[in-house]
Order: sequence, then structure tokens, then C-alpha cells
Amino acid sequence: MKAMKITFISKSIATLAVAAFVITGCDKMLEFEPGDVIIAADALQTADDAQRLLNSNYDVLANLYDGRVQNCAELLSSNLAIPENNNEFVSVYNRETNFFTSYTNGIYTDFYRAIYRGNVLLENFDLIEGLSISEQTRMEAEVRFIRALCHFQIVRLWAQPYGYTPNNSHLGIPIRDGASQEPLPRNTVAEVYDFIQEDLTFAFDNLPFTNGVYANRSSAAAVIAQVHFLKQEFMLAGNYAGEVINSGLFTLEEDLDRYEEGIISTESIFGIVSNPLDVRNEGFRDNYRSDNNPSPTLTFAQDIANVLGQNPSDNRNSWYQQDGGLVKVTRFNEKEFYNIPIIHLTELMLIRAEALGEQNNELDQAIGYINLIRDRAFGEGFNDLDPNSTAEEVIEAARLEFFKETLCEGKLIDQLKRRGTMGENITVRSAPWDCPGMAIQFPNGETSAAGFILNDEGGCN
Amino acid sequence: MRPIKALTTLLLLLLCIHSMQAQSVKGKVTDSDGGELPGATVIVPSSQKGVFTGIDGNYELELEPGTYKIEFKFIGFETQAKEITLAANETKVINVTLKEDAVFLDDVVVVGYGVQRRREVTGSISKIDGKEIMAMPTPSFEAALQGQAAGVQVTQGSGVAGSGSLIRVRGVASVSAGGDPLYVVDGIPITQDYFLRNNSGALNNNPLASINPNDIESVEILKDASATGIYGSRGANGVILITTKRGTQKGTKYEFSTRIGMSTPASLPNMLNTEQYLQLRQEAWENDGGTGNVWLPNFSTASDDAETRALAFQRAKGINTDWVDRTVANGFKQNYNFAVRKGGEKYGLYAGVSYDDNSSFLIGNSYERISARINADYTVNKWMKLMFSGSMSRGINNKVDVAWSGGLGAAMSTALPYYPITYDEDELDAEGNVINEEGEYFLFNGTNPVASQSLKKWRSTEDRSINNLTAILTPIENLTIRLSGGFDFMHLREDIYNPGALSQSSDLGSTNRFANYILNWNYSGTANYLWQVTDDHKFNFLVGSEFQQSNSYGYDLFFQDVTGPVYLVDSLAENIDNAVQTQNNPSQWSFLSYFGRVNYTLKNKYVFQGTARVDGSSRFGRNNRYGFFPSISAGWIVSEESFMAGIEKISFLKIRTSYGITGNAAIPDYARFGTFSQQDNGVLYNGEPITFPMQLANPNLRWETSRTWDAAIEMGLFNDRITFELAAYHKMSSDVLLNVNVPPSTGFTNYWDNVAQILNRGVEFGIKSRNLVGAFKWTTDFNIARNYNELVDIGNYTPDAVSGGTNDSRVIVGKPVGSFFLVEFSHVDQQSGLPVYFDLNGNETYDYDNANRKYVGDGLPDFVGGITNSFSYKDFDMSILMTYSIGAKIFDSSSKRQLGVVTDWNMRDEILDHWTQPGDNATFPGLTLDETNYGLPSGFPWWNTDLFVYDASYIRLRNIAIGYNIPNAHIKKKNFDSFRIAFNVTNLFTLTNFPGLDPEVVRDFENAQDRNLSPNVTYLTPPQERSYNFSISMSI
Repeated sequence: MKAMKITFISKSIATLAVAAFVITGCDKMLEFEPGDVIIAADALQTADDAQRLLNSNYDVLANLYDGRVQNCAELLSSNLAIPENNNEFVSVYNRETNFFTSYTNGIYTDFYRAIYRGNVLLENFDLIEGLSISEQTRMEAEVRFIRALCHFQIVRLWAQPYGYTPNNSHLGIPIRDGASQEPLPRNTVAEVYDFIQEDLTFAFDNLPFTNGVYANRSSAAAVIAQVHFLKQEFMLAGNYAGEVINSGLFTLEEDLDRYEEGIISTESIFGIVSNPLDVRNEGFRDNYRSDNNPSPTLTFAQDIANVLGQNPSDNRNSWYQQDGGLVKVTRFNEKEFYNIPIIHLTELMLIRAEALGEQNNELDQAIGYINLIRDRAFGEGFNDLDPNSTAEEVIEAARLEFFKETLCEGKLIDQLKRRGTMGENITVRSAPWDCPGMAIQFPNGETSAAGFILNDEGGCN
Repeated sequence: MRPIKALTTLLLLLLCIHSMQAQSVKGKVTDSDGGELPGATVIVPSSQKGVFTGIDGNYELELEPGTYKIEFKFIGFETQAKEITLAANETKVINVTLKEDAVFLDDVVVVGYGVQRRREVTGSISKIDGKEIMAMPTPSFEAALQGQAAGVQVTQGSGVAGSGSLIRVRGVASVSAGGDPLYVVDGIPITQDYFLRNNSGALNNNPLASINPNDIESVEILKDASATGIYGSRGANGVILITTKRGTQKGTKYEFSTRIGMSTPASLPNMLNTEQYLQLRQEAWENDGGTGNVWLPNFSTASDDAETRALAFQRAKGINTDWVDRTVANGFKQNYNFAVRKGGEKYGLYAGVSYDDNSSFLIGNSYERISARINADYTVNKWMKLMFSGSMSRGINNKVDVAWSGGLGAAMSTALPYYPITYDEDELDAEGNVINEEGEYFLFNGTNPVASQSLKKWRSTEDRSINNLTAILTPIENLTIRLSGGFDFMHLREDIYNPGALSQSSDLGSTNRFANYILNWNYSGTANYLWQVTDDHKFNFLVGSEFQQSNSYGYDLFFQDVTGPVYLVDSLAENIDNAVQTQNNPSQWSFLSYFGRVNYTLKNKYVFQGTARVDGSSRFGRNNRYGFFPSISAGWIVSEESFMAGIEKISFLKIRTSYGITGNAAIPDYARFGTFSQQDNGVLYNGEPITFPMQLANPNLRWETSRTWDAAIEMGLFNDRITFELAAYHKMSSDVLLNVNVPPSTGFTNYWDNVAQILNRGVEFGIKSRNLVGAFKWTTDFNIARNYNELVDIGNYTPDAVSGGTNDSRVIVGKPVGSFFLVEFSHVDQQSGLPVYFDLNGNETYDYDNANRKYVGDGLPDFVGGITNSFSYKDFDMSILMTYSIGAKIFDSSSKRQLGVVTDWNMRDEILDHWTQPGDNATFPGLTLDETNYGLPSGFPWWNTDLFVYDASYIRLRNIAIGYNIPNAHIKKKNFDSFRIAFNVTNLFTLTNFPGLDPEVVRDFENAQDRNLSPNVTYLTPPQERSYNFSISMSI
């Protein structure tokens, strides 16, 4: 009995010993993969995966252009009164952002997130099976369009404008043309604009004419027009704007509301979409709405009411309501969700009009555009621009309509800065257009790159 | 035939019996106190005939008549030899008293995978006896290691029940990877995750809280590479080996001990009362140009008219609540331990149960622990022995809000003294409707410390079981094979019930359960061969292999509209479907290792050791998975040399040195992978799904390695009456893992990379001196260590790439890890009362600019150590332990609100020294409610200056204990072996210039990087506890 027991014990020990040494000899036991995410190598395999990754770029854009970016740019201009109950907005309004201001840091970070996602897709096309050449080209064009759009928006907000120095050697933003963790210093504004135009040219050449709600050839042309316009390359700006206007794909809204629920506005050249289950317009809705909020965060400056009120027959007076000392914005009232055009036909028409004015060329076309817009605002035939107006008068009219039409959209400040670079003595609420605080401060995290130069702060008040 | 056989047998028998009664030596072996020494060896060396003394110290040795030399031996005592001559039929009685040996040197020390005689150890190892851990009650056992070992800095968290300590062995050598030493209990590297529940309630998880101090036999701290080398992987920050008690001696012994005590806070904050606060606030208001009474948070607002403000001010004047007093009370502690130790020829057993209920000085806060342990050894046959260690414990932590989470922290911050605890009458709105009833709690920021403590139910329960089964086989002489399997199980559940009364939105509350369970398996096999070639040459070979795997699971439950937490409301646990459930995905890691060690002793004087270990970790990719960690060391026992024989004063002299490489892989399990979101992440744009990249891959992620040189002298003088050890080390850590904050322009936020280099070098000195050894004994144990820490390199990253959570600490090249990065404060301008700062060029300015932040000191001490003085006289003994830390600074981060701009925080009374009129020379500037007056950005009254960096040097009377052992004469009558009564006080007083609560502080951290980078930062961290304890222990 005892002998058997010993044998059994020794046998089991021996087995355990062998097992111990065998078990401890396997490298496979050191392979674990996380369960709640997908390993990169497995994530991009089919054309569907690629489209989903592409869609995620638009998702980020939708989170940015839901009013968030537009409000930031609008706060820098003279269109708004001092915000209520929002310290971060006040920092931007006062042109006193610093590297801890989370509102602007968030916008900066999100733009580069979209750029990163796009770069990942660009670098991994070869992983994807079943993707035809034409599909791949379309995707690449869309990615590069978004990448250009993002860089374009960031460089306008975080750096001094194009033309601030003669050869634009002043500092811009870091160019991200690849997915890596490497910290990079700021490129010059000249380099950034070259990069943007290279991407936009590819997009323009390769995007389809129509592409659902996503970027198409006209979107690229429109952004190219904006770029040229800011660079004071008025002929090119006018041409590209003209191509979009004359494509016949877009028509002006008949009413003054280009924020449509459920349908895409006829004048939206590129925009973001919302639906009841996926609302992407909170930046506008939650900050401007005055029907359900006695003290909305953002209201117009008194000057807006004064200027618009000079001409009571301007239907755009319906966009606001004077309430004591506040000029509350009413154009976003009574609406929960709506699509937002990032670039629209009205803007392009006015760009072309002003570009033609600058060239003193085809002024009749320019006057035609302005009058279309005025007809919509005042009624047919009312307050039209004289067909014999001079170039200066055309430019002035285009600028006035631009100012009125793009209220709330954050587009004015870029035009003011442009005019500053052209020599005009522009001040925005008593601050010169090129005071340091007009360029938003970079997030603190950027300084983890050695040699990264932050913006100067303040100097505007 | 048969009768002759029988007769012969009978005759022989008679002869035998006669012989048996014939001659013997017998007696009793005792120690110098008169206590018996059971299990001592009484042996005749020439014939190898011997016996063991019995449980009572008695022995009887039968011998043939003759002359013998008999030796009496017992481990830890000097062997005595007696010569006797035995005549026939004589029984001699020889009683022997053995003297204690130089314990320091012949001790046996636990090293990795084995034991070694202390004199032969070539590495740097400190040993602390279990008795010293039990002598001082602490929230968690490792705090009792403080001041006991040179070079080991132990900082206790705070007085919160169950809070853990921060231990640094020879400085901090990691940044983003875990910097704590490896804890090994009976051979298993145990689960030690401090961030299982992040910093919920301003408290990190303490993985050592459920270990019963009474179970601990000894703790060895391995400090240098040759000692930790055998734990290669993960030994870079030191290894702490915990060995639990076993039943080693013969016979049965019962042990019982109990302790009761009281805990009080070691210090209390000095907040303002209502009168002082209102006066200061009014002054600030008037400084800013305000008229009438100042508005009061939660009583009136800035835009109220003067009359409303005046009414509110009057109302406030009549209320003075001492919130600190309402959150602090003396706590009661009790502790009971019962253990049985049995030993026999073939087995040994230690079985113990303990109950410990430790209430801290925070009302409602306690840590209760019930634990049981069985350690059994069984010798199956002469070549196989089994050892089992098993423990089970349940730790129940009744938690309260602390620090920034509320409770005492709120009393030090947002709980203004004019807030009442409850409404003393109904409060009506403008229309006469009742909005708050009499007796209802007054809520501010949605809470109130008294309401929260009484209504919120919060408990963390940890079930822990650490088990190990080892088979020791000695198939042939000198070859020992150990096969071992261990299992560490942890189940942690945190239940939080948020009552409706505090939410203001519903009558019913909600409750959360956060559950984690971690299964940690460890298998190892080692073979050890001892080869004594000749008397002069002795080799010891060890080879082995080890595999460890840990699986972590977790889930969260959320119940709405409930009346209590899961552990009080049975129906909740039964109906889990009603809960919102989140399943956390499992996380797994494993290590696979192969190692070997060779020890060579030459002539008993020259000792050499070489170890090599190869470790593979699942956390690294194929290319970098395995790390190689070798070490070599040598020791020279100079006192054995012939030329030392004449020098009587030096009883022991040894020189040793070592060099080795150790590693660290304590990073998140999946840091190396590039990952994308799940397919079904639920996000849609334009009605279409998306997928997006989350983490960028780093396939080059690899082991962090440290290269350590160590050299030491150990000396014993005057027959080891004085022993000391002087050691110096140099440790360079490279490929230090950093979780870099990549610039946002990369598109993501963090990236794990091996980038940095950290240097630690220092000196340790320890001396133990038996000053008086007569009837009145006095022994002094002193240790001191100095560590120099420097961050040598962080590659191409700037200091902003790595930051310590919210703690304003940074990595700065050329400075220690744990440097404070703040704007330097100059002085308060005497004319204007405004604060003046320094910019980076040293020029003074009124502008506060974050770009002017610079290195303003660090939280690492220049010297740390402890002094223990032990006295004994007859049956009384007294022990005094003082611990000290010199040269560290503390950044009191909450001071920026308590002593800065007047806001909705209460302030400390140091603010009374503020500027009031031109010509004043004050510490603090003129009071204001507007942060822009101090140059701070609007809306952000966070005053990050070095005005709040203080010198935190201290010397503290950590423990004073007086004990009385009832003399043997008395207790023998009742069959007791020992009976001891003791009284002790911890943290009795502290000498320090630090004006805050306590110069010893470990705050809650957000992650491992925060824990490394932000030592000595306090943010409303509660003080340490002072406890008075009375204990009785006895054994039968």
C-alpha cells in the first residue's frame, strides 16, 4: 500500500515537474491582445473599413463646425457683445487666450485629430483589399480636402494672416502630412499655404462632381477660391468662385434661412448634417437661442442692430431682437437640429463680386451678384446697386453684404485681417488687427516639442 | 532450543535495561534570561550522538561511561562545550546557559529563491523582524518599515484607515512606469495595483491593506542588483520579500494577543472662524472698491442690492460652524490575534486567525480586517517535503470623502464657517412657499460634510487569498528541487450610495458598484545543488524557471431610484438586470523567466556570486520581449584572514561589492499596440458608421533597465557589540519608459516610449550599538541614507512632455524627478500691497505669467533615516523610534486657494498676516476678490507660485513603546510561556518648520506617473494619525 502510494506520489511529482518545465517553455503564453479595441492590423482590411475611417474624419469636422469653430472666429470680430456666463468665450473675446484655455485648445486638438485620421488612411491603402483605383483616388481626394480644410482653418486662427510679412516667413502652424508621434515645430505661413494648395489641387482634380453630403469638386473649388482671396490673388479667386457659381449645381436660398432641417440647403457647397438622433449644431443652438433662454450666451453687438436698423426694410433685421440693452439673436430660434453649410453660394458670389471689383473687371457681373443678394434681403428691385457703380462702390457694397450675410458664421474676421494686410487701418473693438492676441495661443502640449515657439499674448486691450 | 533463546533474550534485555538506567547526562538548557531553549542540540561531536532539548529545555543524553566533550548548540547563540566524565551508573546534571550570538552575522537571510547566511551575502539586503512590525500599529503593515532600513524611504499616506505608504528603495528610477518595489509574499509576486479604482474619493487602492501583520515572520528588502538580480525583471526598484510564520519548533504553542487603542489626528488645520472670515472678506470687498456688506457665497450674490447683502451678512454673523470639529473624532481600534504553532518530527503547522478593526480619526472611516492563515509543512519521506501557505482575508473599508472629495477636505476648503449644518427654521421663497424645511441639511455645491457622512453609504470590500504550495525534493544528497505553484486572488468591490437628499433632483438615491477581480498565478521550478569540492571550495548552483500570469476582470453596476447600496439592499443584488451594467474588458499580462545563480565560497573567506536571468514580458513586442539581466558580486570576509587574528577589537570585517542589471516593465498591458475603436462603437455620422484610430503603435517598446554598482563595508567591533555597515551605490537607469504627452498636433494625446535616463547615487550608513549590556540594557540602532537623484536625459522631449497630473511638477533635465515647476514669488510690495513675481530673467514683475514657471525645489529629501533606542531592565523594556527626513520640500497645492484670492473657500489663519496699508511688510498681499489684481487671468484664481513651497524637514517621535514581561516564575504556575503587557504611542510629536498639516504626506495620485513625479505634494490631504495603544500578548 505504502509502496504504491509512494510510486503514485513520485509519479505525480515527476509529471508536475515535466509539466512545469514544458509550460514554462512556451512563448505563446506571452501574447495577449486587448479585448475592447481592435489591433491596427486587423482594423483596416476591406473597402468598408476604409470608408468608415474616412467617415470618421467627417465626424470630427461635424463636431467642430457645429458652431464651435464659427463662434470662436466670431468672438474675435466686432459682431458680438461680451459673452455671458462663459469665461472661456470671454478669454477669446478679450483676445487673451493662453495655453490653458481649454475651449481653443479643444478646437486645435480636434482639427489635428481629423488630420491624423486622414493620414492614417493615406498610409494604409495597401492594407486594404478589394479597393478599386477609382475608389481609392476618391478617398484620397476627400482626405486631402479635409486635411487642407483643417490646416487652412487652424492657420487662420492660430497665426497672423497671410500678408502679415512680405514673404510670409512669419510663423504659422505645424504641418502634419504623416501619422507619427514626432513633435514638430511651426512651419512658416508661406509653407502652410503651399501645402494647403497642393492638397486642394489634388482634391479639385480628383473629387467627383457629386458625392452625397461629402466633399466634392465644387467644395474644393470653393475653398481654393477662399484661399486665393485671402492671398489677394483676386483673379484666381474670382475664377474658382465663378466655376462653382456657374456649375448650376447651387442656387441661392429663397428665404434668408440657410440652416435647414432635414434637407441640405440649395446654396450649401460643403457642410455638415444633423438628424434628430445625431445633432451636430449645438455650438449655434445652445449659445445663440433666445426663445428658450432669457440670457443667451452670445448676442450681437449693439452696432449690428444699429447698422442693420438703418434700413428697416432689410429683412435681415428679423435675425435679431432688441431687448433692453441686449441684441438677442433670433435666427436660430425654434429649431432643434439643422444642417450647417460651411461654405455657401452667397459667400462665393460676394467673393467673386469683390474680386472682380478689385480687378475692376466685369463689374456688371459683380453688381448682378450683389443685387441678387439684396433682392432676397430687401425684396425684388429694392435697394439695388446702381449699374454704373465704380469699382470702389462695388467693393464697398460687396463688403457690406458680406458683413451682413455672414453674421454668426465667423467669416468676417479673416476679411478684416486681409484688409489690414492690404494697408487699411483696421481696428476691431479698438484693437489693431495684428495685435498679438488676435492669434490664438497654442495649447501647452505643443511645447513638448523642443524649439516650438508660442504666440505672444495680449497687446490688444 | 527455544528455552535457551528465550533466556538469552531475557538476559540481553536485562542487560539493556540495566544499561539504560546506567549513566546519562541530563539537565536544562536556558538562555541568559532564564527562558528555556526547546529544540537546542546536545551533541557529542566525536560520536555524533546527540539529542534535542524538549519543550521545557530539558534533555537527557545516555552515554557509556567515559570522558566526553559535549556541545550545546542553538541557532543565534554561542555554542558551549562542557567536558564531563561519566562513571558507571552515574547521572550527571549539567545545566547550561547559552549566550546570544552576534545575531547580525550568523543570521539566516531570505534571498530570492532561497536563504543565505548573512555573513556570506554579497548583496545589499536589510532584514526586519516581524516583531518590529507588530510593535507599532499602522493602517497598513508596510508603514512599520519606516526608519528600519537604510536607503529605504517609507512615507505613510495619511491617517485615513487603510491608506498605503509610498516606498522608495534607493530613490526613484522610473517616471511613467511603476516606481514601487516588487512585493513578494512567500515567493509570489503579488498583485499590486494602486489604481484599480483610480483615485476615487481621493484615495488610491492599497494592495497591501489586507495582509495581516501578525502573520509576518520577517521582511527582507533587497536593494542592489546582486540581491534583486535574481528577480531581474521588475527588480529595478527594489524587492520586498515577506515571509510568513511557520510552525518550526517541536511541540504545541498557542499564542494570543490583543490590542486596543485610540486614534487621534496628529495635527488639525487652522481654519478661520466666521468672525475672521467675514472680516477678511469684507476687507477684500472694500479693497476692490465695493460698498456696503460684501456678498457671501450661497447667502447672497455679487449682483444683489445693498440691502439684500446686508441682510445676508447679518444672518451669517450669527452662525459659526466648526466643520473640522464635525468631521473629526477619536477613533477606536481593536485587534485580536490567535495562533497555534505545532511542530513534530514530520510536520510543522502555523494556524492563525485575526480580527482587526481600525477606526481612524475621521468620523465614519474605518478599516476592518478578518483574516486566517494556515502554513503547513509536511515531510513525506526523507527526500520529499511539502510546504503549504494559505491565507484568506476580508478587508472592509468604510470610506468617507477626504481631500478634494469632501469631508475633512471640505472643512479645509469649501465649507465656510457661516454655513449652518441644518436649517434652524423653514426657509421661504418670495411667494412664501417653503423651499427648505427646518432640520434639512444646508447644502453647498450639492453637499455638506456632515450630511454626506451620515447619508452617503460607501464601502470597499476586498476579499483576498494568497496561497502557495511548494514541493521540496532532495532525490540525492546536496540536490534540492523546489516546485512551487502560487495563486493570489483579489476581489474588490466598491459600493457607493448617493442619497436623494444630496442630489436635489429626486427623493430616491442611486448606487454604484465597481467590481474588480484579479487572478494571479505563479509557477516556478528551481534546482539547487551544493557542491563542497573540498573544505576550502564550496559551490552552490541554482537554475530555475518561472511563469506568472495575471488576469483582471471588472464590471460596473449602476442602479437608479434605490434606497441604499448593494450590500444593504438585498433586492438589488438579486435583480442585477435592473442595473445599467458595464463590463470592463479583461486585461492580461504574463512573464516567463529563466534564471541561474552560482555561489562560490573559497576558504570561507572569499565569496563570489553570479546570477543571470532572462525575462520575457507580454507587454513588449516580439523584437524586444526578452531582457537579459545579469549580475556579479564578491565579498571578502577580512576578519577571517590570519593577519586579522591579532586585532581583537575588530570581531568582524567584510567588504563587498556588486554590479548588475535589473529591469522594469510596469506599464499598462497593451501600451505597445496600435489600436482602433471597436466596430460597433455606436458613433454615426450622416447615418453611417465610423471607425477611428486610438493609440499609435510602438513596436519598439522595451524593458527599462538599471545598472547598479554597489560597494559596502560591514564591521563588528568589540565582539560585535557595535556593528555597522557603510554602503555606497550608483544606479543609472536607461530606456526609462515615458508616457509622453505628445503635442496635440499629432492628433492623439499620449505615446509610450523608452526615452529617459535617470541617475540615483548615494550612501547608506547603519550602526547598531549595544551600549549597555548589564542588568540595564541599552541598544541604539541608527541609520541614515543620502540619495542624489537626477534626471539625466529626456531625449528630444521638453519638460512639458511629461507632467505630474494636476500637481505642477515636471521632469527637468539636470534636476530630480519630482521637481516643482512654478512661478517664483518675490515679495509683497510695501506700497501697493500687490504680489511681485520674478520672470525667467530674474527681473521683478507684477505680471503673473505661466511662461515664467521654473524649477523651485523638489520633494526629494537629502537625508532620511531612523534612530531606535531600546532599553530593558529586568522585566521591563522600552523602545523609542524616531524617524527623520531632512531637506525635502513640500508643495502645499491647496494653499493657493486657502491663502490666495478670497473666493468661496475658507482660509487658514496665516492669512491674517496680510498687507493692509502702505508701509506694511507682510507675507501675504492685500486681500481681494478679483484674481486679476494678483496678475492672474480672469476666471482662474489658481495661484501657482512657490510661496507655497515649504521646507518639510522633520524629526518625529514615531513610536514609543513600554512593555512588561511577567517573569517566568509567575507565569510558569499557570503554564504560560510568556506574558507581556505593553503600551505604545505613535507619532507622539514632530519637530518641523512646515506650517501645514503634516510634513509627511502621500496624496492621492491619478496614475503611476503622477505617483513618481509628485512626491511631497499635498492637496487637502488629511494628517497622520496619532494612536495610543495598550496590548497584551501571551503564549502557552
